[in-house]
Amino acid sequence: MSLSEQQSLKQQVTLLELVDRVLNKGVVVSGDITLSVADVDLVYVGLRVLLSSVATLEEPRERISTAGAAR
Amino acid sequence: MIHLYGVVEELEALPPVAGVGAGPLERCRVEGLDLVVSREARDGGEVTQAALLSHANVVEELMARSGAVLPARFGHAFTDEQELADAVRTKAAGLARTLNLVRGCLEFGLRVLGGDSAAENGSGQLSGRDYMQTRLAVERGRRRLARELHEPLAELSRASARFGGASSDLRQSAYLVPRQDADAFGDRVRLLEAGHPDLTIVCTGPWPPYSFVANGEGEA
Repeated sequence: MSLSEQQSLKQQVTLLELVDRVLNKGVVVSGDITLSVADVDLVYVGLRVLLSSVATLEEPRERISTAGAAR
Repeated sequence: MIHLYGVVEELEALPPVAGVGAGPLERCRVEGLDLVVSREARDGGEVTQAALLSHANVVEELMARSGAVLPARFGHAFTDEQELADAVRTKAAGLARTLNLVRGCLEFGLRVLGGDSAAENGSGQLSGRDYMQTRLAVERGRRRLARELHEPLAELSRASARFGGASSDLRQSAYLVPRQDADAFGDRVRLLEAGHPDLTIVCTGPWPPYSFVANGEGEA
């Protein structure tokens, strides 16, 4: 993986980790849940796009390691 | 609506940033706990990128200025001060315990991608017995790898948490690390990266301790 690909992967994972923390972690003292289902779906569509981008970035690296193992 | 950002300790002054929906930050005190909130005229909680980033930004700023922060989860809002105070009062003891857990610590996230996919991809041509033996070997390898990656980092951590299913090749975990050990933690991640060139290891952080505040019950 090139340096720019690594940087891009790092940025995407960081954004994914940020959204995951803000929406799914953190303390819930109580209060009304003000997220609507549609809103949450929208955010998770975004998360899946991010995840599949990460997977796409993985492919060249896997091909390289497979080629290396065959030698 | 009142939007809660977190419970703070030893916060000298509110950060000079606006909250969700551009509302100014305010402090309020309930049962000896120091809360940071902002108000919105309309029904809040709309999930926009701007709202999420505003919430995260305020929590980051609080983290930089406080002895301890319990970050609040986005998407729960209170209709008035009374509702907020009642909710905090019922959880006050647990919140105080959780502040003790996270005081002086930073959170780091770890995602590990890759590993044994090549072994699994070749399993289509195997007999049932060979397939099961291959799967067993892969599973053992995964567990060994998980230990190799986890143990050096856990040694430096006050607490750790693992997310995602055991069968996933995408490992996701979080570590609660004392501030003074953050550099050593980074060094160990770099060592793991050097020792596992076949894996993509992404360490993120430092984060506020989102993954260790649970429901304010004092558990990690």
